[in-house]
Amino acid sequence: MSPATAGVIGIGLLVALFLLRMPVAFAMALVGSVGFAYLTTPEAALALLGRDIFDSFSSYPLSVIPMFILMGTFAFASGISRRLYSSAYTWVGQFRGGLTIATVLACSGFAAICGSTAATAATMGRIALPEMRKYGYDNALASGTVAAAGTLGILIPPSTVLIVYGILTEESIGKLFVAGILPGALLTLFFVATVAWLCWRNPRLGPAGPPTSWTQKARAVTGILPATILFLMTIGGLFFGWFSPTQAGAIGAGGALVIGLARGQLRWQTFIEAGKDGLRTSCMVIFIITGAVIFGHFMAVSRIPFMLAEWLGGLPIPPMAVMGVIVLIYFVGGFFMDAMGLIVVTIPIFFPVVQKLGFDLIWFGVMIVLIGEMGVITPPVGVNVFVIKGISDDIPLETIFRGILPFLGALILFTALVMFFPKIATFLPSLVSY
Amino acid sequence: MIEKLERFNRRLSSWCEGLGLAALLLMMVITCIDVVGAKVFLWPLLGAIDIVMLFQIVAISFAASMALILGRHIRVEFLFDLLPRRAQTVINSFVLLLVLGLFMAIIWRLCALGYSFQTSGEYSATAYIPLYPFAYAIALACIPVCLALFLDFLKSLTKGTQK
Repeated sequence: MSPATAGVIGIGLLVALFLLRMPVAFAMALVGSVGFAYLTTPEAALALLGRDIFDSFSSYPLSVIPMFILMGTFAFASGISRRLYSSAYTWVGQFRGGLTIATVLACSGFAAICGSTAATAATMGRIALPEMRKYGYDNALASGTVAAAGTLGILIPPSTVLIVYGILTEESIGKLFVAGILPGALLTLFFVATVAWLCWRNPRLGPAGPPTSWTQKARAVTGILPATILFLMTIGGLFFGWFSPTQAGAIGAGGALVIGLARGQLRWQTFIEAGKDGLRTSCMVIFIITGAVIFGHFMAVSRIPFMLAEWLGGLPIPPMAVMGVIVLIYFVGGFFMDAMGLIVVTIPIFFPVVQKLGFDLIWFGVMIVLIGEMGVITPPVGVNVFVIKGISDDIPLETIFRGILPFLGALILFTALVMFFPKIATFLPSLVSY
Repeated sequence: MIEKLERFNRRLSSWCEGLGLAALLLMMVITCIDVVGAKVFLWPLLGAIDIVMLFQIVAISFAASMALILGRHIRVEFLFDLLPRRAQTVINSFVLLLVLGLFMAIIWRLCALGYSFQTSGEYSATAYIPLYPFAYAIALACIPVCLALFLDFLKSLTKGTQK
C-alpha cells in the first residue's frame, strides 16, 4: 500500500473513531501512532509516542495556554464580568434592545480577558439572561445574543484557538493576538447593529430600560477598569514586546488574582475551584495538541498534505477559489466538531496548501477562527447553544437556534468581508515588528 | 466492588489534581517573579523557563485522570446518541479498550524514555535539573487514567450483560 493510500485510510479511520465518540485527542494519538508504525516501523512509532508526549507536555511555547486559561477563570471568579455587564447596561440600557446591546459589549469586554467561547457565553449568560428575561426581552433574542456574542471569546485576544493555531503553524502568537483586535471590534459592532436592526423592526423584542443620569454613567466607567487594565497589561505588553506570550498570560493571571483579592471577591474555595477549572481545560487543550502532533507525524510520512498542496496549487483556478473550498470544508466541519478539534485535525492537512498558495498565514488564522465561531453556534454540535441551554433549561433549543440565525448571518457577512479585505486582519500585525 | 474501586480512583485522581494545581500555580508565580525581576530589578530568575517547562509536565499529567473522569475531553457526540442502546454499549466498550491500550503503551514508552534519560544523564538546559523523574512522573500519572478507563470498561460490560 502506498503511503498516500495509508494516509487516506488513516483519515477515514480517524473520522470513524470520532463518530464512535472516542475523545478527539486520543483518536488522533492512536491513529497517528498506528499509521506511523505502518509506514515506518512499530519500534520507531512507539519511541516517537513517548517522545512526543514528553516534548509536548514540557514545551515552553505551550505554557502560554494554561496561563491565559487561568487568567480567564480567575477573571470570572474575581467578579470582573459582572461589573463589565453592569457598566455596559448603565450606558446603553435605556435604548431599545439596550440590555442585549449591553450583553454584546460585555461579552466583547470579557473576551478581551478570556480566550474561550464557552466560558464567555457561560459567564455572560449567567449574568445577562436573567436580567433580559426580567425586563420581558424575547427569549430567542436574549439567548441567541449570548450564544453568538460568546463566540467573540476566540477572536478577541487572548484566544486559545489562535494560540493553538500559532503553535501548530509556528506563527507569532503576538501577531495573531494583535490580528484579532480589529476584526473582534468590528464584529462586536456588527452584532450591535444586528440587535439594533431587530429591535427597530420589532420593538417588543427588547423594550427600553429606565434612563440613567450622566453621573451614573460616569461612575459606571470604573466597572470596566479591571478588564481594561488586564487587557492593556497582557495584550499591550505583547504588542510592545515587553513580554513573551507565556509571561503575558502569567502576568494576566496574577493580575486577575490580585484584583479578585483586592476587591474581596476571591474566597479560598472560589480560588481553588477556578484554578481546578483552568487546569482541567488546559489539560484538555494540551492533550489535543499532543494528539495533533502525533497525527501530524503520520500525515508527514504519508506525504498527503504536500501532495494535496501540489495538486491544489497546480489547478487552473484562482487561489481565492481554492480558499473558498477550504473555507467551505471548515464551515461544514464546524457543524460536527468543536472549533479547537477541527483546527488541530485539519491544520496538518491544509496548512501546506495555504502556504503554497501564498496566502497570509496570520489572515488565515483569523479566517479559521471566524469559521470556528460559526461552528460553535450551529447545530448539531453548537457548544455555545448547549451552554445557554444549560443555564436556561426552560428555553427550548429551537428557540436558541432561531435567536442565533440573524447573528449567524452577520457573522457570515463579516467573514466574507475579511476574506475579500484581508487588511482588516493584517493591518495591525503589520505594525508589530516581532 | 466496582463502586469501591471507583471511589478510590476518584480520591486518588483528586489528590493528583491537587498536585497538578500546585504545579500550575507555581508556574504562574515563577513566571511573574521572573518578569518582575527581569524588568524592574534587572535580575531574572535563573532557570525560570526550565522550571516552568517541568512544572507544566506535573500540572498537565496529574490533571489527566480527573479531566477524563469529569468528561472534559472533546468528543463528537451527535451520531452516537442516535444508535440503539445495545450498539452504544458495545461501541463504548470497544472504544474504552482501544484508549486503555493506548495509555498502557504510553506508560510503557515513558518508562523506557525515563530510563534512557536516567542512563544517559539528560538534564534541562539552564537549571540542570535531571529530566528522568519527569518522564516517570507522566507514566505514574497515567495509572489512575488507566484505572478509570478499565473501570468504565467493566461498567460498560456489566451494563451490557444486564441488558
